[in-house]
Amino acid sequence: MSDKRTTHFGYREVDEDAKAGLVANVFHSVAGRYDLMNDLMSGGIHRIWKRFTIELSAVRAGQSVLDIAGGTGDLAAKFADIVGPTGRVVLADINESMLNVGRDKLLDHGYQGNLEFVQADAQYLPFPDDSFDCVSIAFGLRNVTDKALALRSMLRVLKPGGRLLVLEFSKPVNPLLEKAYDSYSFRVLPFMGRLVAGDSDSYQYLAESIRMHPDQDTLLGMLEDAGFVNCEYHNLTGGVVALHRGFKA
Amino acid sequence: MAAAGLDPTLTTAALAALEAALNRALALDPAGQRHLAGLAGRTFAIECTSPVVHVYLQPGAERTRLLGYYDGPVTTRVRGSASDFAELAGASDPAATLINGNLVLQGDSAPLIELQGIIGRLDLDWEAPLVNVLGDVAGHQLAQFLRAGFSAGTAASSSLLRQLEEFIHEEARLTPPRLEVEDFYGDVQALQQRVERLQSRLERLRKRIRSAGQ
Repeated sequence: MSDKRTTHFGYREVDEDAKAGLVANVFHSVAGRYDLMNDLMSGGIHRIWKRFTIELSAVRAGQSVLDIAGGTGDLAAKFADIVGPTGRVVLADINESMLNVGRDKLLDHGYQGNLEFVQADAQYLPFPDDSFDCVSIAFGLRNVTDKALALRSMLRVLKPGGRLLVLEFSKPVNPLLEKAYDSYSFRVLPFMGRLVAGDSDSYQYLAESIRMHPDQDTLLGMLEDAGFVNCEYHNLTGGVVALHRGFKA
Repeated sequence: MAAAGLDPTLTTAALAALEAALNRALALDPAGQRHLAGLAGRTFAIECTSPVVHVYLQPGAERTRLLGYYDGPVTTRVRGSASDFAELAGASDPAATLINGNLVLQGDSAPLIELQGIIGRLDLDWEAPLVNVLGDVAGHQLAQFLRAGFSAGTAASSSLLRQLEEFIHEEARLTPPRLEVEDFYGDVQALQQRVERLQSRLERLRKRIRSAGQ
């Protein structure tokens, strides 16, 4: 029997060491069409979820923000507008392709000066302790191999009083909505992925990884176990997505 | 917009649409936008009690933001029903409305009055977007037509209001005129003060009689 530790990659059990590479391949494949697919898949609602995240972040001018798994930079751009020239926003992503797309997009839109781009693994964040007023991770935590390790790493880089925001797919609260959502995820999404991004496997992984991700209460417990206090969550669109928030004491 | 019981997706979407419309309107009045920029850094909390809706308004140099959730310090917090807010929005004397109306105010009232004044004085220039779409000649003609129609409508409505007010106060004598009411309230207040003074004098006299009798 192998003594290697395993984790899930969608519905498959894989070696822990292999997951990061497999996830990387998914995002290398979809990076170019990531924004378009997000708009198509969610009908544009992902922008509303991100707007709500920004509101709950309570970020103000002059503060420092770390946006992990920042991808194509939707949240980082909004944070950069709010913190202004005296603030600092770091867009971090483990995936080089996603980071390149995000960096090009933001530079093309004139963002510079208060915005940095860092290729970093959420589990081992390359920043000193107590560095940021706010850490956000939107639709990224479910792809991390060791979520508990990543949450502890986020807690470490937060300043005391700083807050973590985790925006992630979750479990619909209404059984009817859950059934409709299941059909949509496993039938429509891979088809859309094949049609638009030329890659149905990546979107099949997306649907599977959402089902394997901890539900609202489990993730809330994970935040508390990692050391966050005053933790809470808000269900969005009937629980299709949940926004968790926790503070560093 | 924190509204009781509603999914935050709905309220956030409504606020996003409202914010976009507000900023589009402000872009048509650069002077109003400039005045609003003077209030940058202030946060106004608007708490409507019926229907239950909480909105935070943050004017900025380039954009005005509408938020449903806000944790930071608030410059002015106003609480009241939708009709109270409608009364304030249309008031010619917002300070009097704030004092005499049902709105509950916390914090600094001056920026709120300034904000109400800026919104009340907004003068949207519809010509620019019309010219962009229709071209110089047609856009200008249509804008002039709309302006003439709008000013005729405003004149007609203000004339109607004036005549209606005159009829109610002077001809039908259904209600007294404003100045008469204010004068009456002044007299009532003066009478109330005199009665209170008389009451304290009587009380003093009663005490003196009581102490003289002992």
